[in-house]
Amino acid sequence: MKNMKKQLSALSAGLLLGWLVTGCATQTPSAQAPKTTKPAAAPAVAAKPAGVRSPSMLANTCAGCHGTNGASAGKIMPIIGGMEKEYMQLVLEEFKTGERDSTIMGRIAKGYSNNELKAIASYLADQTWVSSPFKADPKLAAIGKKIHEKQCKTCHEDGGRVQEDDAPRLAGQWPDYSLHYLKDCHKKGRRCAPRKMGSRVMKLSQEELNAMAHYYASEK
Amino acid sequence: MTQLTRRKFVKAAGACAALGAMVSVSPRTFGKAKKGRVIVIGGGYGGAIAAKYIKMADPDIDVLLIEKNANYVSCPLSNEVLGGDRDIDSLTFDYANLSHKHGISFMTDEVVEIDAAKHSVKGKSGKQYDYDKLVVSPGVDFRYEKIDGYNAGVAEQIPHAWKAGPQTVTLRKQLEAMKDGGVCYIAAPPNPFRCPPGPYERAAQIAHYFKQHKPKSKVIILDAKDKFSKQGLFMQGYKKFYGDMIEWVSGASGGIIEAVDPKNNTLVGEVDEYKGEVLNIIPAQKAGKIAHIAGLANDSGWCPVNQKTFESTLHKDIHVIGDACIAGKMPKSGYAANSQGKVCAAAVVAALNGNEAGEPSYVNTCYSIIAPEWGISVAAVYQLVDGKIVGVKGAGGLSPMNANANTRAIEAQFARSWFKNITADMFT
Repeated sequence: MKNMKKQLSALSAGLLLGWLVTGCATQTPSAQAPKTTKPAAAPAVAAKPAGVRSPSMLANTCAGCHGTNGASAGKIMPIIGGMEKEYMQLVLEEFKTGERDSTIMGRIAKGYSNNELKAIASYLADQTWVSSPFKADPKLAAIGKKIHEKQCKTCHEDGGRVQEDDAPRLAGQWPDYSLHYLKDCHKKGRRCAPRKMGSRVMKLSQEELNAMAHYYASEK
Repeated sequence: MTQLTRRKFVKAAGACAALGAMVSVSPRTFGKAKKGRVIVIGGGYGGAIAAKYIKMADPDIDVLLIEKNANYVSCPLSNEVLGGDRDIDSLTFDYANLSHKHGISFMTDEVVEIDAAKHSVKGKSGKQYDYDKLVVSPGVDFRYEKIDGYNAGVAEQIPHAWKAGPQTVTLRKQLEAMKDGGVCYIAAPPNPFRCPPGPYERAAQIAHYFKQHKPKSKVIILDAKDKFSKQGLFMQGYKKFYGDMIEWVSGASGGIIEAVDPKNNTLVGEVDEYKGEVLNIIPAQKAGKIAHIAGLANDSGWCPVNQKTFESTLHKDIHVIGDACIAGKMPKSGYAANSQGKVCAAAVVAALNGNEAGEPSYVNTCYSIIAPEWGISVAAVYQLVDGKIVGVKGAGGLSPMNANANTRAIEAQFARSWFKNITADMFT
């Protein structure tokens, strides 16, 4: 089921290709439709009707903070390249409405229509996920793994590698970011969305939250 | 050419071997590309990005980056060097990845002449390079003449440190050598200038150093202006962390500096004279030198461009990006240059493929670090309306005045990760 979903999203990415600037020369996206049609077959930037901004035009502005194609090199900035499309779209919309707390993303997301946020999400989703090079503490990672097995894996399958529209990829994420998010969730408790996550995270100690962050960082 | 250490040489040679092709350039061979030749002058926040994003979008375009320095030192975050929390090496980058990973040709040379009619540029080395499209990202130059007695020579002793590098280190050393109880004056420039919040972050970083090591000392900002970027947030942060240690003198209150007396370490204002132990003069600015030589700037000292493509309105097939250009409502910031580099890259790629430029999208995000755990930001999302870059209404803005300490701490961390990512966007 999941694979089929992935194929579908790859297919729709392919349909969009005609007006996408595809990938970076240094990345070779696997299992993605753009690969086959990437070379000069289609012009890199096709003419667009005035007023419509292409997905690459929109999404490339994210790279200043999130790294080229969303592969973040900064430890507190989340890696967003290769994240599940619907999930990212939802997050961006929640930033825009203020439903999701942020320091700066709310201010930025308000600058785009929902269609543009969707285009940004799908462009970034088509990029290859690049895990952080962080070397996790094995002891902490082992503690985190136990908690994950007991409480998290129903939604965050395969060590947080599997993505759904309501569950982002956790494996390979920068631990500073994961910890920042978990601490926020811990503080909010049941107000953290989804509530079932909030009610579990709120019972963990700060050390356990840190262990979770290390565990997901260890799963590349 | 600087000397390569053996280890670096082996590493560089290995990188080439791995790719099976050495990216080298000679003026005569450059330009056999199927789709055309692009020369980018200046490898900073704008130029490095334009070069990389053109190549990413269309590998069939030949890109040559000409930069006068072998290494790049980032201005953003350089105030942390003055504060003592960072060394200059952490701000220093080279062009190896752009060359080896992205196939961009790189020349260390200073362009001294642009022949817009012939589509060629000439370097100080005497070499000549031909282009189909030229991207000029020269940053800023200084209007030394606005302050009597100030010039490039005096700036070695009384640094502007507004281009990161040796002067940043000089200023830091002067602060370190200063006795407790001394005064550091910062003369802040009139608008428009590179990095509008920069002088005020600098004051905070110097105060951060004084607070730890020279608590009786003061930082006084002598401003040519009567208001400045993120003013409320800065004043709040100054008061919270540094009390009376930082003082701001507006232009109307005598902050405008007209002359400097280097022998007596004195700044001469309209009304008062200011003698200080450490002086930092950030002069008024204009577009980088080559923009003036090439006739790309107008009477304002900056370069008018088509704000959709960044093509000069004065010379065809030459684009100007970054601090040097007039980009509507966008400030002269590193992020703005990055964003403009990408819009320009897309327009150049479109043109060389025979297409119209797409509709542009631009962003600016700018962090300032007032104390190690106290960061503030301003952001804006821009669009093109009637040929002008304007902010999208309802978006962007400042960090809230009433944010808690945790939020400020996170923003300081974001500032440092922003730096990691924006420089990775340029150099990896």
